[in-house]
Order: sequence, then structure tokens, then C-alpha cells
Amino acid sequence: MFMRHLATSLVALAIASPAMADFWSDAAAPYQGVTIRGVSESTPPSNYVRDVLAPQFTEATGIQVEFETTSWDQMYDKAIKDMEAGSGIYDFVYIEQDAIYSYLSRDFLVDMTQMMADNPALVNPAFDWANFTTFIDYFKDPNKNDHVFGVPMEAFIKVYLYRKDLFENPEIQASFQEKYGYDLAPATTFQQWRDIAEFFTAYGQETGQELYGTTVQAASGHPASFYEFWESVAPLYGVYDWGINQETWTASVANGGRMNSPEAVEALTFWLGLLQYAPPEATASTWDEVASSFAAGRAAQGLVYGENATWIATNAEKSSVVGNVGVALPPTAEGVMEAAQSGEGYIGYYDGGAFGIPHSSANKEAALLFMQYIAQPELQAGWAEAGGRIVLNSTYEDPKVQEIDAKTDSYFTLMKDSGALFAGAPPYPFHNQVREVSAPFIYEAIIGNLTPQEALDQMAAATEAELKNLGYTAN
Amino acid sequence: MTRPGQRWTTFAIWILLSLLTLLPIWWMFLVSVKQRADLFGKPSFLLDVSSMTWDNYASVITNPSFQKYMLNSLIVSTANAALVCALGLLAAYAMSRYRMKGKDNIFFWVLTNRMAPPAAFLLPLYLLYTGVFQAGEWSLFDTRIGLILLYCVLNLPFAFWLLQGIIDGIPAELDEAAYVDGASTWQVLRTIIIPLAGPGIAVTGILTWVFAWNEYLFASTLTSVNARTITTGLAEFVTVTGTNWGQMAAVAMLTLLPAALVLALVQKHIVAGLTFGAVKG
Amino acid sequence: MRSSTTGWLLLAPTIAVLVLTGVLPFLYVLAISFFDWNLFAVNPEPRWAAANNFRRLVHDAEFLKSIWLTLLFTLWVVASQVILGFALARLMMRDFPFKKVFRAVHTLPLMIAPIAVGATWRLMTVPGLGPIPYYLKDWFGIDYRLSMFPDQAFASVVVMDIWHWTPFVTLTILAGLSNLPQEPVEQARIDGAQEWQIFRDIVLPAMKPVLLTTIFIRIMDALRVVDEVWMLTQGGPGAETRFIGLHIWKIVFPKTDYGYGSAMSLLTLYMTIVICWLLYAAMTARKDRAS
Repeated sequence: MFMRHLATSLVALAIASPAMADFWSDAAAPYQGVTIRGVSESTPPSNYVRDVLAPQFTEATGIQVEFETTSWDQMYDKAIKDMEAGSGIYDFVYIEQDAIYSYLSRDFLVDMTQMMADNPALVNPAFDWANFTTFIDYFKDPNKNDHVFGVPMEAFIKVYLYRKDLFENPEIQASFQEKYGYDLAPATTFQQWRDIAEFFTAYGQETGQELYGTTVQAASGHPASFYEFWESVAPLYGVYDWGINQETWTASVANGGRMNSPEAVEALTFWLGLLQYAPPEATASTWDEVASSFAAGRAAQGLVYGENATWIATNAEKSSVVGNVGVALPPTAEGVMEAAQSGEGYIGYYDGGAFGIPHSSANKEAALLFMQYIAQPELQAGWAEAGGRIVLNSTYEDPKVQEIDAKTDSYFTLMKDSGALFAGAPPYPFHNQVREVSAPFIYEAIIGNLTPQEALDQMAAATEAELKNLGYTAN
Repeated sequence: MTRPGQRWTTFAIWILLSLLTLLPIWWMFLVSVKQRADLFGKPSFLLDVSSMTWDNYASVITNPSFQKYMLNSLIVSTANAALVCALGLLAAYAMSRYRMKGKDNIFFWVLTNRMAPPAAFLLPLYLLYTGVFQAGEWSLFDTRIGLILLYCVLNLPFAFWLLQGIIDGIPAELDEAAYVDGASTWQVLRTIIIPLAGPGIAVTGILTWVFAWNEYLFASTLTSVNARTITTGLAEFVTVTGTNWGQMAAVAMLTLLPAALVLALVQKHIVAGLTFGAVKG
Repeated sequence: MRSSTTGWLLLAPTIAVLVLTGVLPFLYVLAISFFDWNLFAVNPEPRWAAANNFRRLVHDAEFLKSIWLTLLFTLWVVASQVILGFALARLMMRDFPFKKVFRAVHTLPLMIAPIAVGATWRLMTVPGLGPIPYYLKDWFGIDYRLSMFPDQAFASVVVMDIWHWTPFVTLTILAGLSNLPQEPVEQARIDGAQEWQIFRDIVLPAMKPVLLTTIFIRIMDALRVVDEVWMLTQGGPGAETRFIGLHIWKIVFPKTDYGYGSAMSLLTLYMTIVICWLLYAAMTARKDRAS
């Protein structure tokens, strides 16, 4: 009891200590009354920044924050246009991990390491890049001595979610055992994933429930389906980095790539095969709809982005499966797990983003203060609760986070222990360009206009043509 | 002339047609006042007053970005309609009353501006607005003035066409008589053309206002934050809320409301206004 | 007719504004179309490409498909709207109670922003929420899913456009019909002509200018449709409702392929102008003969 009191007082002391208060108000003194503007995707972590952290920062510094949270497409549209046009509307922008390479190639962003070295008065003495998890490595530019260009604000893994209440129901277990000859458990092989999907779709029909076997993020006109396939499913079959050979910049097997390899075809065939066991909205589902479907209790299992895992498991206002969510690593093909453990492969998307400062901003100093403010360790736990995100090593140890961990079937522990098995998007400055030419073949395969083999053959050819247009390969 | 039996069959047919017209809008209204839990299940077209809620509207109206978008739309549409009517009137008067070489070609050229697929002009306009039409820090990108000017491409040809038909309908002898009495061009416009073309100008103004209010593609491309209009707000809102259908419906209802009010205003004149000068042949 | 100098002065502001926002962009897009220019290429600067972009277009299956779909869409909606609009205008000419109210209701869709029209129809068609999928399943056993079945998506987009724009056709034709001289019709009735004969020999020929104008405007607008389709289907499933406007947008913005997108814009613009010019020529030829 005494120890706990002591701890609380120490924390209170730390927050209230004059040295700390002095830093924020002193450093911000020249920027009193300045308004900084930022833009991000409307996700739980970003909304927490807007609603909680930004007002706190304003109170501590007198710097106003206008933080806009909008849709994924709009966020890119606005941020890229602003940086490209140099209009200086935004002082900080959200950089999704897969966009950093494009931004760096266009030199959109301020070198934070350099800026902090040049302006010691703006650096919080307690700030240390070493506090961050390895996720920060994605925002370092190897061509510039690993200088940092974005302060990580969220990181998740795309995990396999399943319905514990269904999986642990003895009657269901017995009937599953009878039908398939093995015990019902979170899938570790693709065959099990498919069997479970088939089983629960049939179970939903028999019991007259709106229940389906699995979620599939298979929007037939939105890149979300491209992402689920290349970032989550293909790697489970051992096809990494979209099957593009980064030495020769080729994609087809004939030219040394793996985009249309037998493993990729097998992966696509399997993934499309899941559609028959997915809710009818699957072919219109992006990440948001997948999360909603699972939260509405319409699916027994599926791959769901981690940013949604905590609210699905804990927020009874939005989710009807609170307390019934199980978390596990996704099933893998033979040898893939070993490859991931040895660092040669990965088993899914290490998703997340950072805040960066555009060159076009007129309030870089105030923005830099804000970046450091929200990276303070003592602010992380509440943020993790709201958004399921962790970017500092110390956050895992926080009692509040451990409490949530228990409610979410150890999602945070899984991320801490197995995060290294996941990987961010490959370092392609041409990310959007190749996605735009490739994704239509995934759409065509979803609606059955192309077989998996045809889709991947044509996709590889289109990708190679695009890489040639962009100047990666000679004519 | 219409036989009494026919009178009532026609009436019945129009009831049916009106139901078809109103059904989607009514459905949207229903979704906008339903509580989240009541959305799914067997769709009913009846309004359940007991479980009705205005929360969706409240949360939309109190949203500061929504208020800003609404204001932007009002300013842009009104300024554009005024500008277009003024310019269009002068041009239409010139076209109707003056002998000019290549008049027909000019007329067709003006119209081609409206034919162009908007997507074809998105890129050059975006590049011009962000990089060329600028003075120091200031550029046309993301400004209301930028949109007001731009909507001229869409609306000016239209206004020009409508107004020319209307002015053609005013006997030229009237202004000739005034000129003989020593009136200036400006006086003729003010004392003869504008009063006589009044209703036509009003219809033109209101229709161009509605077009500007309704435009989406250019607004979404050429603005990012400050000058966003209500239609881009709607699109943005839909993608943000994802599956929050109630709020999406509320925004859409609020977007179409002004246009519906405008319709009530011009209802009487709209048919006459839409002849495009074609009727007289 | 008065001196042309004043006339040009009166025209000048209109021409100036249209040069600024119409001609300049046109020249700009023309210039860019001869370059390879993608911001995220190895070399992000424009590189001279002569006519390569245009050559590529001719073999671009996605582009050709998009053009074909756009034309098909235009044909479907304009034909349906003209037939429907004519029928409704004639119905509107009759005498019946609450005529003004019905006319106002019928005009309503015309005033709604296309993007809101898209939102409206999306609410009608969302699986699990919308009445269309529910009742199609319940009454006819049809599995309706826009995101899965290309024909359904295309048909839905066509129906939406008919709902949205038929009132425009009705109103313009109504304006034409109300201005039609009644004597020839009365005379023909007295002479004992059948109603369909009157329609074919007197009403239809007299309505030709109005019809042509209406068709002209509708084709122009149908070819440029983007907003409501984007809202309803996002161009999907696959690329089955990815009409040319949406296609160009995707090439130019998410893909930042400026040179190629410009060439595509130009070719589309050219095709639109040719189609419109033909119609315009038909309209003015008739006008000249009449006057």
C-alpha cells in the first residue's frame, strides 16, 4: 500500500515538477498563440490525439493545435497535395509506414535528427530516440546516416482474431470434432482456417444466425483487397515484398520475380476460396468494414488490423463481442514461421505510422515541440487503451496497459513478443504507382473475371511495364 | 379536353411516379433519424416516431468543419451565380444584337468549355492553381476565389446559352428605339433588357447557383482544407464514418436541403427557363 | 444590328474568364501530353516523349474498356431518359388534380447534388441495410450484391442516372410541347387522323429541335459522369463501372502519371467534342433551313 502511494506521489511529482513545466512553457514561449495544423486518418489513436493530447499540449504550451482526422484516401489526398504544392497548410502530417519511402524520395519531410541538433533549446531533456520500439527504424533514412524523419505515433500487428465463446463452446467443439476429426482451435494451417470457416458458415445457417466463417478484406474496387493479399496472405505462403525482385526490379517468375509464382497462385486461390464462407459484405469490405463485421458478431475468425483489436474486445458501445475475442498469430505455410524467426521472412503487416513535419510548414518549431510532447512515456498508457497502439518500450510495462492486455487475450504481449515476426511494407517509392496498376487484377479475380493464375500473370506483366515506365529497368 | 376518366388515371399514374421519385429520399431520411440499433433487419418504409432521434443531425450540425464547408458552399455558389449572370448577360446581349464575324464559332467554342470531361481539366488546373497562378506565398489553390472562377467554365456557357435565348425573345426594336433617343448601351441594358429578361435572369441565376452548390470533382481536387465545400464534406464524411450510415444520411439530407428549397422558389419559371431558345426554332 | 466593337467589348469578360480557366488549362494539358512525367519515377522531372503516350493509349485495354463502358452507359441512359421523358411530358400535358405539386416532386431529383444522389442510392443498396437487396431476395430470390456482380452494378448505375436526370428531359420536352401551336393538331383531329398519326406526323417533327437540344445536353453530361458513380460503386466491381472520368482521375491522382493522364484527357476531350459537334451540326442545320 505504502509503495503504491509512493509511486503515485512520485508520478504526480514528476508531472508537476517545476523543471518539467518550465521546459514546455519556456521552450514554447516564442510560439505563444501560434496555431499548428495537422492531418491524419480518422482512427482511434488519431482521435485520441485530437481529443485528449492536443488540448493538454495547448494548456502546457499556449500553442493551439488544429488536428483534422479524415478518411484514409482524403488524408493522402490532402497531405500530398499540400506538400507537393508547398502550400504550407499543414505543420505536421501523418506518415503511414508504407508512404515514408515515397515522401523521402520527394524530399517532403524535415530531418528531425538534424533539426533537434540545430535547435537544442527545442529539445525536451527527457526525450530520447532510444525509448522507441524498433518500429522507429522504418522512419530512418539509411541514405542520411539513419536520421529520423517521423516520430512514431502508432504501431500494430495484423493479427488473427477468433471468437472465444464459439471456439470454447463444448457442443460446438464436439460437433466440429465429429465432422473434421480434430479438435477445434485457432487455425494454425490453411486447411484448418478453411475447415473452421466452412463449419461456422454452416453452423450459422443451421442456427439461423447471421454468422459466417471468416472475414475477408476483399473490396472489389478498393486497394484494401490488394493490401490484405500482398501484406498479409501472400507472406503467409512465403511470398514477400509483393513478389518483386528488388535487385532486378522484376516481378514475373520468368524474369526472376515471384509475383506469379506457384506459391502466390496457391495463396490467392486459398484466399479467394474463403469468400464463400465470408459475410456478403466481404467483397465491399475495407479494413473498417472487416472490423465492423467482426465487432457485430458476423464472423467466427479472420485477420483484423490491430488498431481495431482493442476496441472490438473492450468497447461495449461499439462491439457486441466484448469479452469473447481471442487473439493469435495467423496460420502459416510450412517453413514460413522459421523464416520469420530467422529474419528472412515475415508473417504479416507491421502496421503503423508517424508524424512528420513538411518542409512547407511555417511553424516547424512549434510542431517539433508537439511531436516530443506526445512521445512522453507517461502519456502512452491512456493512448494505448484508446487505440491499441504502442511505440515506446516502456509502455508494455505500464500497469494500465497490462490490465488491458488481460482483457484483450494478451494482444499487447503478443505484439511485444512476436512483433519482430511482422514487417512493414517494402521500401518502394513507387508504392502507389505499382499498387494502382496491380490492384485491378485482384479486383478482377475477386469477381471471377480472371483465375488466380491469370490475374497474377497479368499483374506481374503490368508491374514490370510500370517499373519500366518509371525508369527502374532499362527499355 | 381531358376526359374525366383519363383525368383520374393520370392522377393515379403520377401518384405512383411520385412515390418512385420520393422513395430513395424518404429512405435516406428514415436512416438519418434511426438509432443505430434499429438500422438492420427487415427494411420498413414507415416512420417509427417513438424511436426517432435527431442525434445524427445534432452531431453533424455542431461539427465545426461541417459549418465551415456549408459557409464556403454558400459563398462560392452565390458569388459564382452573380458573376456568371453578369458576364453571361453582357455576352448574350452582344451575341444577340451585334453583327460579329465568327459569331457561331465563338458560340460553339463557349459551349465546348462545358463539354470537356471535367477529369480532363483536373490535372492542368491543379498544376496551374498550385504552381502558376500564384503571388509569393499566395496561390489560387484551396481558395474560394479559385472555385468561384473555376465554376465559370461550367456555368458561363450554360448561362450564356439560356440568356441568349431569352434576349433573342425581346424585340430588338425596343432597344433600337432607345438608341435613337440617345441612350447608351449600358442604359439600354439597364432600362430595357434587364427588366424584361428579369425572370429569365432569375432562373439562370438560381440554376447556376444549384450547379455550383452541387459540384464535387473540382472542389475536391482544387481545395484541401480552407475552401472545402459541402459536397466534398459529404464525400469525406462518408469515407470517414465508414459504416456510420445514420450520420452519412444526415449529411446527405443537409446537402440536398438548400437545393430543394431553391426548387420551391423557381418552380413556376423553371420550365420556361429550360427552353434554351430552341422552341422558337 | 449594331457595330461590332461594342459587341466584342461586351463579350470580352466572358472570353477572358474562359481563356483563363478553359484555354490555358487546355494548352497546358496539350503540352504535358508529350512528356513522360511521373512524380515518383526515378527521374521525377518531365521527359520528352514525343507521341509515345498517344501510341500507348491505343493499346491500353483498360482505357479502351473504360471508353466503351462510358459510351454504353451514355447510350442506355440517354435513350431511356428521352423515351421516358417524352411519355411523362405528355402525361404532364393532361389535366389532372394537383398538377403543380406533382411537377415539383418530379423535379426534385434534378436539384440534388450528384454526390448526394450517389449517397442516397448507396443507402438503398447496402447489403443488410438497404431495401433493394432485401426485397429482391425476399420477392424474387435474387442475390443482389453490387460489389460482386458486374451486370447488377452497371444496371444500378443506369437506374440511378435515369432517376436523377429523367426530370430534366421531361421539363425541356414539356416546355417544347407547351409552346407547340395547337392548330395543326386540332385540324388533323377534325380531319379524322388517329392519335398516333398526329404524334408521328405533326408533334414529333415539330419537337425535333427541342429533342435534339435535350439529347445534346444529356449526352454531354452523361459522358462526364463521375460523382454519383464514384459514390455508389467506386468504379467497381473490378473496373466494370469505371467510366472515363473516374479512370482519368485514378491515373492522374493516386498514380501521379501526369503525362499519360494528359494524353488520355486530350483523347477523351477530342472524342466528346466530335460527338457533340455532330449533334450540334444536326441542330444548326435544321435551324438554318427553318429560318
